[in-house]
Amino acid sequence: MRNDPKKRAKGLLIGLIMLLLLGACSGSNGGSNQGDQASSKPPASDSGTGQESQTPTETEEGPPFELTIMANLHTPEVPSDKIKELLEQKTNTKLNIIWVPDGTYDEKLNASFATNSLPQATYLKNQASLIMFRDAIRNNQFWEIGPYLSEYDNLSNLMPEVLNNTSVDGKIYALYQERPLARQGIIYRKDWADALKLSAPETLEDLYEMLKAFTNGDPDQDGQSNTIGLTDRSDLIYGAFKTIASYHGTPNGWGLQDGRLAPEFDFPEYMDTLKYFRMLFKEGLINQEFPVTSKNDQQNLLITGKAGVYVGSMGDVQTLYNKLIEVDPSAELEVKNEIAGPDGYKGIWSIPGFGSVVLFPKSAVKDETELRRILTFYNDLMSPELANLIYWGVEDEHYKVEDGAVIVSEDAKLLEREVKPYQALQIGGISTINMYDAKHVLPVKAKAEELIKENNKQLINDPTAPLDSKTFGEQGIRLGDIIKDASYQFMLDRLDEEGFQKEVDRWYSEGGQKIVDEFNESYERSK
Amino acid sequence: MDRKEVMTMNQSVIRSAPLPDKRPKGELWRRIIKNRAIYCMILPGILFFLLFKYVPMGGLVIAFMDYQPYKGIGGSQWVGISHFQRLFSETMFYTILRNTLVLFSMNLLIYFPIPIILAVMLNEVRHSFVKRFVQTVVYIPHFMSWVIIVSIGFVLLSVDRGLINELLTMMGFAKIDFLMSTTWFRPMYIIQVIWREAGWGTIIYLAAMAAIDPQLYEAARMDGASRLRQIWHITLPSIRSVIVVLLILKIGDVLELGFEHIFLLLNSMNREVAEIFDTFVYNAGFKQGQFSYSSAVGFFKSFVGLVLIMIANQLAKKAGEEGIY
Repeated sequence: MRNDPKKRAKGLLIGLIMLLLLGACSGSNGGSNQGDQASSKPPASDSGTGQESQTPTETEEGPPFELTIMANLHTPEVPSDKIKELLEQKTNTKLNIIWVPDGTYDEKLNASFATNSLPQATYLKNQASLIMFRDAIRNNQFWEIGPYLSEYDNLSNLMPEVLNNTSVDGKIYALYQERPLARQGIIYRKDWADALKLSAPETLEDLYEMLKAFTNGDPDQDGQSNTIGLTDRSDLIYGAFKTIASYHGTPNGWGLQDGRLAPEFDFPEYMDTLKYFRMLFKEGLINQEFPVTSKNDQQNLLITGKAGVYVGSMGDVQTLYNKLIEVDPSAELEVKNEIAGPDGYKGIWSIPGFGSVVLFPKSAVKDETELRRILTFYNDLMSPELANLIYWGVEDEHYKVEDGAVIVSEDAKLLEREVKPYQALQIGGISTINMYDAKHVLPVKAKAEELIKENNKQLINDPTAPLDSKTFGEQGIRLGDIIKDASYQFMLDRLDEEGFQKEVDRWYSEGGQKIVDEFNESYERSK
Repeated sequence: MDRKEVMTMNQSVIRSAPLPDKRPKGELWRRIIKNRAIYCMILPGILFFLLFKYVPMGGLVIAFMDYQPYKGIGGSQWVGISHFQRLFSETMFYTILRNTLVLFSMNLLIYFPIPIILAVMLNEVRHSFVKRFVQTVVYIPHFMSWVIIVSIGFVLLSVDRGLINELLTMMGFAKIDFLMSTTWFRPMYIIQVIWREAGWGTIIYLAAMAAIDPQLYEAARMDGASRLRQIWHITLPSIRSVIVVLLILKIGDVLELGFEHIFLLLNSMNREVAEIFDTFVYNAGFKQGQFSYSSAVGFFKSFVGLVLIMIANQLAKKAGEEGIY
């Protein structure tokens, strides 16, 4: 929080500079720009996969509606206004988008909420932020939108199951942004595996053998022992840990034990996973500083040919590959999922189907008319035309269409500057909007996308997603740190099983027991 | 003798502020009107303190409430001292207090003398180009953010490819995982503090030294005093009151160890020695929107700071110094 003003100032400065630059640009070629837009309009509207009923309710009468949105910025810089302006034209709005850097999003959200200055459409960072806001939602601080959804032809396509996962006390307050349920899997160096005559790992045992061979078998054949098996980072969830835990059969966050909900670390499978990692650590098969390694450094270990296995989102294979071949043109990557544990494959942990949600604070949205106007905007945003616009950009400029699927421009910087940030505004997604799918030129990326779909066959859900615990909302993060610290210390062999159990007991005594009770109560009620 | 000179100078500055007035009220107003230009000049300063330091203090009441933003201060429930009870009953409380105090003592004992030594050394440099050059070079780290300094530390100290560990292996020693070690956290912290702040800290001392009457040095030289003697008997006594004031201010900052710096160094492996009040407030309070609890912890922290500053000031006065109030 303390550095927030500085960051904001920096953001402002960048924003100002961008504005100036933009002004300069539009000043010099304003004419040709308009020409571009005029000529790109007709193809855009009929290439909108031809569903006329779903085109935006164009240009309502009257002056543009002013809408302020707070959204998460995943790129270092705020985007150019190009897409925003197109969006404003199509929806007859005047958008004021407050871009907040991802790293400080929750703080900014909290601060804005505390000072009653949340904008009309407030995106949350992730599911955890939604849990944090439950109390406020229950206290009538946000508009309930459930009853209105059926009136909008696009919004009504949102999936009831996912909406239910976002609900509070059974009422729907949020529009959600779709996320694949489980993207986790294994990415490994195929050329290394081939050199060592290893086949794709099928079990955790195979994986261990592969990591061992990658570390000790000189897979890059340079005669030096300078490689490791696994590259991991300081993230127990999106790093390797949780995925490997799933393969061991650990529940996702919470599991059922004799009909009652219990936290995952109470299950023996969690301990098995810890021991697996401790073994990797002790034998030097994993980067030795993984509890303090950033995602960037983690990926760099693979890119620079130091590590051979990456466990995480299989979709990352595209970026990894692009960078890897710059270093080693002969490198090959392969993806794999459904690794079997000691008792066979048990499934993979999943998220509740949404990444982020958008809420409508009552402090900013004064009446029902205003709310309906905002929902109209979001209904428009879910039309194929606008969904394509904010997700893919402008045709022939940011992407090309081939066989009804999108091939994105190779100019990654252009996309990052003009398109990528706007993806944060998306509501729904490919399964609820008839929008373009991506065409993957890289075969291994295409395979990764296949495997992501395949993951859906056997998912491990977090049973507490629709449940509620007040203590969890208040102290969950701090208590979670106890377990997180203990887990890392165990994996680095600085804590034994007994020591770990002591920390678990501490979790229980400092409030964990309350969380368990509250979740179970909520669980009983929901049955 | 020279010390007195500096002191009288200090005193004359202090005395020139209006004395507590025993004359009738009209007289005070008359003087205010007479010196209105001067009063106008301090007005922005006073406004600043009122607006940004005193008014927000009212917000401290939320430390005694179960504050809910949407209910506001008026609508939230009063809960007495329960947040303080929760703080004192945290199992982490003593760890945090210990860490804060240990890091503070290191700041005081290790960091604090360094700018003085550095300033004395710079003061002895006769070649003005060299002096300015060195001064500039030692200032520069102050303008880098902690993020950069910690990142540089990361690159140097990492086990996997860190320069220092590479050197250690080359010399035949075992690698040390500085970043995740509980023993190395404190040295690492204080070295980074010194590296960033020591140069900047010399400014005030150098300014104080510039005010020393050169005649004193001349006289000392006539008497055959060596450079060390001159430093010991002239330079250091002359800046003594400045040192004391800065020391008291530093003590007041006891629990202000720099959130950013420690937050960046903190990880699961060194939390035992690295968690301090600021990071605790962030992790336990702010991340989950626990405004009241965070305020209570902040309140406690400021209170300890205030008590320490008062003690230090009393001690300084007993030792015959001016103190800060």
